[in-house]
Amino acid sequence: MNTMTEERKVTLVIVAGITLALLVFSFVTTGDAGDFAITIMSGLFQGMLLFLVASGLSIVFGLMDILNFAQGAFFMIGAYIGYEIHHATGLIDIIPDPNIRFVLSLIGATMIGAIMGWILERVLLRPLYVRPLFQLVLTFGVALVMLEIVKSIWGVRPRNWTDTFSILESSFTVFGQPFTLYRPFVVVVGIALIISIALLLNRTRIGIIIRAGVEDAEMVEALGINVRAVFTLVFTLGSAVAALGGGVAAPFLGASLEMGNAFLLAAIAVVVLGGLGSYEGTAIASILVGLSVAVVAKFATQYINQPVWASITPMLVLIIILLIRPSGLFGKER
Amino acid sequence: MTETDNIMLKVEDIHTFIGQFHILEGVSVSVTQGSITVLLGRNGAGKTTTLRSIMGLNPPGQGQIIFDGQPIGGKRPFHIAQMGIGYVPEHRAVFKELSVRENLEIAERKRGDLDAKSDLIFELFPDLKRLYHLPGGNLSGGQQQMLSIARALVPDNKLLLIDEPSEGLAPVIIEQLMEAIRILSKQTTILLVEQNFTMASKLADHYVIIDDGHSPVHGAMRDLIGDKALIQRYLGVA
Amino acid sequence: MTNLLRKTLQNNWIYLAILVALIVLPHAIGWFTGDGPFGMQVGRRFMVIGQSVTWQGRLSQIFIFAILAMSYNIIFGFTGVISFGHALFFGIGGYMLGVMLQFSDLGVNEAMIFGVVGGLILSGIASFAMGLVSLRLRGVYFAVFTLAVAEAVYIYFTRYRPTGAEDGFTFSDMPTFIEPTRNPLNFYYISLILCVLVFLFIRRLMYSPTGAIMLAIRENEERAKSIGYDTLRYKLFAITVAGMIASLAGMLHVMLNSKRVGPEILGVNFTVEPLLMTIIGGVGTFLGPVIGAAGLRVSESTLRELVITIGDNRINVGDSWEIILGFLFIIVVMVFPQGVVGTWMRWRATRQAKRLNAAISSQKATASGD
Repeated sequence: MNTMTEERKVTLVIVAGITLALLVFSFVTTGDAGDFAITIMSGLFQGMLLFLVASGLSIVFGLMDILNFAQGAFFMIGAYIGYEIHHATGLIDIIPDPNIRFVLSLIGATMIGAIMGWILERVLLRPLYVRPLFQLVLTFGVALVMLEIVKSIWGVRPRNWTDTFSILESSFTVFGQPFTLYRPFVVVVGIALIISIALLLNRTRIGIIIRAGVEDAEMVEALGINVRAVFTLVFTLGSAVAALGGGVAAPFLGASLEMGNAFLLAAIAVVVLGGLGSYEGTAIASILVGLSVAVVAKFATQYINQPVWASITPMLVLIIILLIRPSGLFGKER
Repeated sequence: MTETDNIMLKVEDIHTFIGQFHILEGVSVSVTQGSITVLLGRNGAGKTTTLRSIMGLNPPGQGQIIFDGQPIGGKRPFHIAQMGIGYVPEHRAVFKELSVRENLEIAERKRGDLDAKSDLIFELFPDLKRLYHLPGGNLSGGQQQMLSIARALVPDNKLLLIDEPSEGLAPVIIEQLMEAIRILSKQTTILLVEQNFTMASKLADHYVIIDDGHSPVHGAMRDLIGDKALIQRYLGVA
Repeated sequence: MTNLLRKTLQNNWIYLAILVALIVLPHAIGWFTGDGPFGMQVGRRFMVIGQSVTWQGRLSQIFIFAILAMSYNIIFGFTGVISFGHALFFGIGGYMLGVMLQFSDLGVNEAMIFGVVGGLILSGIASFAMGLVSLRLRGVYFAVFTLAVAEAVYIYFTRYRPTGAEDGFTFSDMPTFIEPTRNPLNFYYISLILCVLVFLFIRRLMYSPTGAIMLAIRENEERAKSIGYDTLRYKLFAITVAGMIASLAGMLHVMLNSKRVGPEILGVNFTVEPLLMTIIGGVGTFLGPVIGAAGLRVSESTLRELVITIGDNRINVGDSWEIILGFLFIIVVMVFPQGVVGTWMRWRATRQAKRLNAAISSQKATASGD
């Protein structure tokens, strides 16, 4: 079975080349195995955080052609909900074990995200499928409202975890460098999510319908499938995953009003970089951007003392890749 | 048996707008059960829009469509499809990223549809067996057309709408498709759009001419074959 | 000749009425409230404050945003290209003017002239260059590419020490006769004139052959290309002109905004605002961006100050004006599918069609009655 097209091969070579260049560059400039390992680990960590926001954005955009500006707000709300559940006084009395409460907080965040996504799609977006441009404005308005609601509930002071739990506290050493266990934990969660979404898309009937809908939603409908119901489902899933991402990221990053928009722009960059409508593109681009940011950050602080370059890196990677590949890494001309 | 019992699909005086354009200005088509009916007419006359109106993809603003005794106007396309209409659109609309198998699987309306029909499908289009695990995008135009028809066969459809199956295909493949459509017509009703008059005249029992958003003439195919003036007037072929 | 004049007046009386109202407004407010258009006497000192002055400031801000929104409408509404990086050109204008006035050794008038001309040229070059490398990208790829460029520049300037990094800088000096704090009325008229000129320029442009081709690109770029137009050239022209006009708005903005130049003028907010203003007012209409700008600004400034008293409870709406603004977006989007101007035009068209139909049928009735 030969499904590999020439273009795909070139793309994979480009990706492998960039990754290798990043690794070599990082190894040479850090010059220390411990520093190098930490840089790479932190790159993977940031890549996975990005993926948690970008995955929903990518599938929703591919299927429904909606660039959902509210995705960042779902991420932020997930973080606050996670904090609230983890620190709720009543719950602490019932379940003293913080680890269990952490798991509960993830479940809670995911569910709230799913409910809000479902409402947003059913009530506000559905009447607007004939006017895609207005959906963009609408999601922007919704993001604004959600931010303000969070502000009025939790205020402007960021929330940091006072009630720690074992993975957040533990650390281990790599080549003599101490390293918190939470980063590899996030990486594992991210990889698990990549695999489960991939399985969903490739192995289930709903996955086949979603992939077909990304290509031609009208034809899917003409085959007797209620595409609008699929849209609702996918949008709900996308929002839930973003909120889960917020819940996962929050113990490490804290919950703040800025976190939504900060991740949204980078996530949009990642989705476009990977190629619109390509799930694997989004996954690969997330890791690529995460690694680039970590490597540049290390270099910029250590040698040229200009940490600003790390913040610009996602944008620069996007600009460079789009100049080489106008449809992103795995995108189709459309 | 009265005459209405025999009518599988009745399209009555439909008017369809796309944006501000009035594409269909009163089209009527009636399809008898078990027959092949062909829509003939020049490019842009409104044949494809007629099929899309039946499917609910471009819902008509006026007029009535009755399928199998029930009005289907105003229903969503998926609902219309579920009532038993298979749609083989213009340009095939094969899902290019999905394998042949997945292209067929997605058309299942209940589990096991594909297993039940795979013998029929492979008998009609033996090529598809060989290509079963390839992505739809890797198939040639003719193979994609076969897949698109096969996809409409997976569930038990009472009516197939097939839009220009011969478009852009080599004569050998057209022969093969004609044979397949002929076999299919023994078990289902077919409404066909076809520019290739030779093919249409060999296959169809009835014809309806679509001209400039209207349906001025219809009748039995064998009558049309002899009527050179009519053919010349609406189809521009002799 | 008189005929032509009458016709022009007939077709444009609304615009002319608005214009006259805006010219008279500062004086009218001054006359009604007693706070003169130049300011008012407080004790022994004459101060530039009062109702009229406050409103001049608000309206000037509307004119500035109208200019920005109109410039965005050139690419977005008339050429059909969605850019998310428009703030870059707005910011370039502001920074160029500020840098010239604050950091150059020139005299204040020369610095002003160099700032304005330099800002226009630099933003022209920047938008041309951006278009040149990115206009071959399609749809969302183009939009996000421009976003990436603008964001990269924005982030860079939040850390760039010489221009005060995140805090920005304030230029101390500018020609007195247009300084908004000293001569608000002059500044008001200048921004009004510029707003009118931009409006007229865009109208002129869109009725020209070039404008017709831009519209053709918006409707169907492939077809415009197949007819033989070099569509890239026209898109490049549109984005360059739009960028230069946006930089003009940026210059006016920093002058009005207490002469402060900060990185936020390069930020995504100054892309999103004109985008929303255009959509809410009416995409691809002449007056739409202006209405959108006025609507958004007025509702923002009223909501910010609004305090509702119900019984003993004082509800300070200003604290949550952003939430109301968000809801306002949502409502406007649901209620005005073509934007305010577009919906109004459609309503007028159906009304005229009805009248025409009524006239025809009554004519028919009398004809058959004979």
